[in-house]
Amino acid sequence: MRRGMVIDLEKCIGCRSCAVACKQHNAQPAGNWWNRVVTPGSEFHGVAPVKGKELFLPVSCQHCANAPCEKVCPVDATFRHTDGSILVDLERCVGCRYCMAACPYGVRQFNWEDPTRSVQRYEYQDGYTYGHPKQYRLNGRLVYAPLRAKGVVEKCNFCVHYQAQGLDPACVRACPGKARFVGDLDDPNSEVSRMIREMNGFNLLPEKGTKPSVFYLPPKRKEV
Amino acid sequence: MSKKIVLVLTGLMMIAGFAAWVLQYREGLILTDLRNSYSWGLYVSGLAFFVGNAAGGLVLSSLIYLFGVTALKPFARIGALTAFANVTAAMLAILPDIGQPVRLYNMLLHPKLSSPLVWDVGVLNLYAILSLVYLYLLMLPDLKGPLARIALKVENPSEFSEKWARRIAPFSLIAAIGIHVVTAWIFSTQGAREWWHSAVLAPDFVAAAIASGTSVVMVVAVLVYGVKEEFREAYRIMSLMITVSLLVHIFFMYNDYFIQAWYGASESMETLSITFKDYLWAHAFEVLAPLAAVLLLSREKVRTSASAVVVSCLLLIAGIFTHRFLLMPAAFGKIPLTFPPMGLQGVEWSVPIASGRYDPTVDTFVTHAHYFPTGIEITIFLAVLAFACFLITLAVDRLPIVKKVQS
Repeated sequence: MRRGMVIDLEKCIGCRSCAVACKQHNAQPAGNWWNRVVTPGSEFHGVAPVKGKELFLPVSCQHCANAPCEKVCPVDATFRHTDGSILVDLERCVGCRYCMAACPYGVRQFNWEDPTRSVQRYEYQDGYTYGHPKQYRLNGRLVYAPLRAKGVVEKCNFCVHYQAQGLDPACVRACPGKARFVGDLDDPNSEVSRMIREMNGFNLLPEKGTKPSVFYLPPKRKEV
Repeated sequence: MSKKIVLVLTGLMMIAGFAAWVLQYREGLILTDLRNSYSWGLYVSGLAFFVGNAAGGLVLSSLIYLFGVTALKPFARIGALTAFANVTAAMLAILPDIGQPVRLYNMLLHPKLSSPLVWDVGVLNLYAILSLVYLYLLMLPDLKGPLARIALKVENPSEFSEKWARRIAPFSLIAAIGIHVVTAWIFSTQGAREWWHSAVLAPDFVAAAIASGTSVVMVVAVLVYGVKEEFREAYRIMSLMITVSLLVHIFFMYNDYFIQAWYGASESMETLSITFKDYLWAHAFEVLAPLAAVLLLSREKVRTSASAVVVSCLLLIAGIFTHRFLLMPAAFGKIPLTFPPMGLQGVEWSVPIASGRYDPTVDTFVTHAHYFPTGIEITIFLAVLAFACFLITLAVDRLPIVKKVQS
């Protein structure tokens, strides 16, 4: 079993629901976004490119099969789940940020300050809270917590806490374009394997040799 | 008298640095200018800088005991002392970079053997212990008076010291080269960062380290022994070592840039332009200051003036420090996730990174990060520098580092 994700860029409408759902479900501190939707070619984040065509590209942890972040972690806090996804043990991470230097996708984020204080920077109304309220442990290791300690690294955990309930990741469930699919990359008959094969699935930065588990399906030509 | 002033000033600096670290520990690394897209800065540069300065022990012990350059013998203890002071400073420099320092015991409980950081911690500690043992062995014949308590009881201390110094020399040479190579591997193994991902980085670290490490020994030697006639030959040999290794370092560096610039891949051109455009002055300094220093040191007149030697060596060390600082801008200033967007011709585009620092007036998603260390970072770094100076001054004052009787 190798859990993978397919994102169909033809279906992505750029609404960023996945980024918002991810942010809310996973209680991310201010300024941290495990999942981001970008507009390749644009001069500023979130605006249309000056020339050519507009497309949207959601980027989160690629859960690489040859993951530099996993190899550099001095304390084995970043580790591989049996389904191939890369998780962070939030109780063991020492916060050296070597994994952030090692990741070519810029998906790893740091808790620069106390998470409670960080969220207050958004000036939400009193009583508003977000995030899946319960901790989740995988074989005793803390891989999701609504409040991470300051000074530890965090990133997309493939919603491992929802998998345990038989649910797909928040970004998949929240996508109104139905552009995201999760499945087994090892099974050639799975829906994701079939889509990658038949619709020219590709990876980001294949030249880095990281072998990501997130595949993208190219969009059709659109003139703007 | 002047030693006391140095001890007081460096002591005060250490207290200020410790206070800054406590504050940073309470508030988090938000007090630095680092962010998700630019996640390493002065602290990690400091690690590379102090590791380089620790090379002095290697140069001296191997020249004396492996290659028979006896002129350097009076400085052997200084070499071991500066090696120990700088390698411990290197470990202290990286400590404030750690987000959760109290969890560091996990390095012992769960070390990941594929991580160059684990190797580096191992080899730095080994080198610190070796330098200390070496220093002790070299001082053994002069451990008299109140220090006799810590002296090993052997029949002929001088002979014992000489014999074991010679035996340990090859191992200290291997460990000393090891600290530079492994520290370089922390960076050069990372395919994500074009700026570091080069086979020449490890040999370049060794070359730069021999230049700066020998300069550190020379500064201390000139300050404690002066420029008397009998040391002229020693200073000439050390100047030669500094010059040759500096030229090798500059050759390695430009060899790397030349290959990248000739091929002209857009990714390497962008990292080069960060160094040669945004940081042109810093780059000019990292090359010209050490070159000026070795030009000065090549002159007999300079080598016979204590203050001129100190100024030259400090100029070189400052240049190497700038070189270490420049490890970061070109590595983090450019987002690694850069590609030509589908359907757009001739455009290279970088995917913005969430900075992790929310400020309503500034974009959260950044494609360019500029970094300059904050007051907290600079205070902590200066405190580590002060620690190295404090340790060396204290040891020169209290231990038989300076040979009282010259043969």
